[in-house]
Amino acid sequence: MGTMRLALPWEARISHLPVMREIRVEPSGLAQSGGSPAADFSVDDAVLASACQSGDLRAFERLYHLHGSRMKSVARNLLGTTSDAEDAVQDTFVKIQRSIASFRGQSSFATWTFRILINTCYDLRRSRLRKKEVAQEGPDEESPRPEPRAAVTHPSLRIALERALGQLTRHQRDVFLLYEVEGFRHSEIATILEISETASKNTLFQAKKNLRAMLEAPRSSAAEAR
Amino acid sequence: MNITCNDRERIFLDGTPEEWLALEAHTATCAACSEEVRAWKNLSVTASEMHQEWDSAALWPRIEEALKQQSPASNGSWFHRIFGGWNLRLVQWQVATAALLLLTLTGSAIWFGTHQRTGRIPQNEALFNNKTVNEVERAEAAYERAIDKLDAQARPQLETSPSPLMANYREKLLVLDSAIADLKSQAGINPANGHLRRELLAMYQEKQDTLEQIVEAKK
Repeated sequence: MGTMRLALPWEARISHLPVMREIRVEPSGLAQSGGSPAADFSVDDAVLASACQSGDLRAFERLYHLHGSRMKSVARNLLGTTSDAEDAVQDTFVKIQRSIASFRGQSSFATWTFRILINTCYDLRRSRLRKKEVAQEGPDEESPRPEPRAAVTHPSLRIALERALGQLTRHQRDVFLLYEVEGFRHSEIATILEISETASKNTLFQAKKNLRAMLEAPRSSAAEAR
Repeated sequence: MNITCNDRERIFLDGTPEEWLALEAHTATCAACSEEVRAWKNLSVTASEMHQEWDSAALWPRIEEALKQQSPASNGSWFHRIFGGWNLRLVQWQVATAALLLLTLTGSAIWFGTHQRTGRIPQNEALFNNKTVNEVERAEAAYERAIDKLDAQARPQLETSPSPLMANYREKLLVLDSAIADLKSQAGINPANGHLRRELLAMYQEKQDTLEQIVEAKK
């Protein structure tokens, strides 16, 4: 992985940020302020899956109302634009309906849904890239160019983080987004990405170490500045 | 609990709540750890802002429309309604039975066609009579439905897996589906042609084998 050094001094830019959520420690369940989706996952999961299997569109609507927001956010962070994210969510629902007969309840219905969503996002990303390559006949960066978001605190910092995420491996990016951005637990991420919980923890650790290195101000230039 | 700088990364990876508290206490006297812990936490804070929510009033109606459009194709047949919840082994068994039935009917139809018509219409010895055609078509339809069921089982793996093997399977199935469509079209024009029926059966069997390989790969 190539290292991208962004001149972004953490000290100056975010030292005064309010710590909105503390480090999550599992499995004691110290959830972040946003609340864990685990609560949503347990509610009526099997009932919902069964209703969807019977072809009940209202069940799909309930699935959308329960997880649609988080699905859109995951897709938005993987694809870069809201319109692509909405396309991915729509494709995901179509795939769920098409393959619902094969759902055997080995994982929760919600994690199964998110697994399909993530695969759909990567399929969509690949097809967009192929189209772009055909149109441009030239190399293009693999990561999508994110559209601007509404600034909350430090847009430059968040943009830098978004760019740095594009430099991570797919696995590291997925785990980081699911855990840190969307608030999933390692046990849920393990099911969604079909990896072990330990692998999820290790991948998150590596992802954060890499991001920390990328976003840290280059030591040489920092020394020169002094 | 005594925590040193050497424990920091282990705690970042998988520390207990008590270890985190001890690390926080340690940062009061260690500038390096203090900076590292703050940066580690700030990553989480910034990441949490990347969660985005926006209104998209048109999205659910779009999804609903797409689901309605797909619904008759995937769930509308009586076969899907009855056998939708059956497990995979049973599906494979159903496909095998349907294949055997079709093979028997096609084979016996050809045998009867060639043996009973000899002498009367020697130039059309592979032609079926109307009753035989109906029986073969019914068996074919049952076999096709059974393969559709197997297809539904294999489809998630086929569509979601990025592996080159699955890409090859996808291409093979496209070719087979195209060949099946061609043969069905020809059989529609000339329904009594036993040769076309045998070709069609061979294509169905190839499709069944391919789908079973995909399902096996999933396990």
